[in-house]
Amino acid sequence: MAEIHKIIASIKDALGAGARSNSHAAAASVAVPVAPSAHRAELASTFARELEAVGGRFLGILTPAEATNRIVTLAGEIGARTVALGQGVMSDMDAIGEALERADCRIVRTIPVADTERAAMRERVANADLGIAEADFAIASTGTLAVVSTGDRPSSLTLLPPASLVIVQIDRVMANLAEVLAELGAGGVAANRLTLITGPSRTADIEKRIVLGVHGPKSIHAIVVWPRND
Amino acid sequence: MAEFPKARDFFESSRAAVGDHELRRKLESASARHLEHFAEVKAEFPPYDDERDAARRIKTDAIAHLDELLIELASKLEARGCKVFFAEDAAQARGYIVELARAKGAKKVVKGKSMTTEEIELNCALERAGIDAVETDLGEYIVQLRGERPSHILTPAIHLSKEDIGQLFTDKFGIAYTAEPEKLTAEARSRLRAIFLNADFGVTGVNFAIAETGTLVIVENEGNGRMSSTMPKTFVAVMGIEKVIARLEDLSHFLEILARTATGQKLTTYTSFITGPRREGELDGPAEMHVVILDNGRSSMLADPVLREALNCIRCGACLNVCPIYRRIGGHAYRSVYPGPIGSIVSPNLFGSAAGYLPFASTLCGACKDICPVKIDIPRILLHLRWKESAGGHALRWPRAIARARRGARRFAKMARHPRTVRVLGRIAAMVLKPFAHNGYLRRMPGPFGNWTKYRDFPRPRPHKRPAPEVERPPS
Repeated sequence: MAEIHKIIASIKDALGAGARSNSHAAAASVAVPVAPSAHRAELASTFARELEAVGGRFLGILTPAEATNRIVTLAGEIGARTVALGQGVMSDMDAIGEALERADCRIVRTIPVADTERAAMRERVANADLGIAEADFAIASTGTLAVVSTGDRPSSLTLLPPASLVIVQIDRVMANLAEVLAELGAGGVAANRLTLITGPSRTADIEKRIVLGVHGPKSIHAIVVWPRND
Repeated sequence: MAEFPKARDFFESSRAAVGDHELRRKLESASARHLEHFAEVKAEFPPYDDERDAARRIKTDAIAHLDELLIELASKLEARGCKVFFAEDAAQARGYIVELARAKGAKKVVKGKSMTTEEIELNCALERAGIDAVETDLGEYIVQLRGERPSHILTPAIHLSKEDIGQLFTDKFGIAYTAEPEKLTAEARSRLRAIFLNADFGVTGVNFAIAETGTLVIVENEGNGRMSSTMPKTFVAVMGIEKVIARLEDLSHFLEILARTATGQKLTTYTSFITGPRREGELDGPAEMHVVILDNGRSSMLADPVLREALNCIRCGACLNVCPIYRRIGGHAYRSVYPGPIGSIVSPNLFGSAAGYLPFASTLCGACKDICPVKIDIPRILLHLRWKESAGGHALRWPRAIARARRGARRFAKMARHPRTVRVLGRIAAMVLKPFAHNGYLRRMPGPFGNWTKYRDFPRPRPHKRPAPEVERPPS
């Protein structure tokens, strides 16, 4: 198209024909230190502290079975009748769904949808009292959950319901953002939509007073789980 | 575009704002709270200054390779199914979006918070085409309901009290009056939720665009960006050409400092990485995604070696919060979409010489430079713009003033070579002026000296003594 050539040309002009610093190409990519696994528990507790600092709730470092029980209890605590549930990354989400069903919760399972079913599925997720998703990574230093969304793990799960629960495997708790981005890699980030979630949806637009739950969930709960074969 | 306001309007609006004590109270308390939070998060993050340097270096570098990076970004986006449109100016950008919305038969457009769409005056253009533009960031929603513009690039409703907003909601929605931020937010949530779930056209801005991966990064706290970019069938992202960075690994340096400086958070609540439209079977994301890449005067900033640095700006808004001028007059007085120190640099380049008076609305105290997360030397650029403004462009006004100032300075220099003359004149001045002074200050002086006292008081000359100690100034 004509515009691109015009604009790129004017940028080239503006930059001048002179020599450019070549740091763009030469800048070395710094290897990101990854914490040894002995530090995982430490990272998980840092994550817990930071999550609570931003208004999230940390439910513990639990085995998969404990986590399932804890989720059922949580659903009771917040009076969730309907729970929206996506596929896991590593965890067995079906087990969680079944346990919730035994506790008389209605389950909305997010599966790939055709265009004609989209609005109905969205409505169901939006009307759920709790959305459950598994994060691909957690960031200890900021209390952040990194969630990649795909067909059966849509972004809506952590956005539309008023309460959100996210589980994450303990070996996927990283020290900082740079590590997570390095771990995902350019290919990983380019492949799907990625969302970093740091606490409940919030605003400070009215007299700088913090209010939770603007467009996203008002509460966010997190569980760090031990590997399944533990 | 509407004609840019005249310098005279700025003088009027800023004078009115200075007299508005309520506005001043709101601005002061908001700024103070911001600086408190900032000091806290900065203290607990030792690498803060290193990250600033890294961010500055990366951005400077990206700007120096802007042409290559934009081509790379555009091709990556297109490969992923996005349509990319390069807009030379605001008119082209809004024309493209309005045409697209019309072609899609959109009646309503949901908007995530975006200063760039304010810059191109998208809402007006949509409304002229009979399409409703709904701002969904709470602050933007509030100012839109009031028919105003945002008065801060981050907290658009900073000039309003919760009582103002309560009254607004009562007037507009007929709900019972409440000034509780929680209730007001809940009201906005339920109204906007219904709109989001039925939206077929969404527009947001962009904070960073990663060339290497073709990813757009949107940073926000409320979820309006997530909603606007995932719910509608058609999604348009609008970004300035300067938003592009080279690599994914560059990004963490910016994210580590942006939220800390902007809001005193370690990271904003939501950071969305968007690479393209939804794929087969996906629940969320648009069926069609467009990216409008806007020049609108930015390449002319690029061409000026001093101004170029301003393209490093990541729109954190911190320079507004520390600026003694902004804190006294607020955002609306500037009469520009981008107020405050960085706004005074950007505006004349985006809106032309009509905004040429803005670089003069600064005390050059340097607080903005100190807080800037990418260390932009704002005072230097403001001086450069003053110089540009004085030298060229407005042939009518500034050169004459400059010539007068130079003549005056020369005369003074001549006189200053004779210390005795200075002393004698000083003594005479002290004697003559004494009866007119109040509390050691002169409020008005005669003749050409009146230009000084028009805007500030003049300390009464007191020869043979050390300068008077700071006394309480009479309110002028």
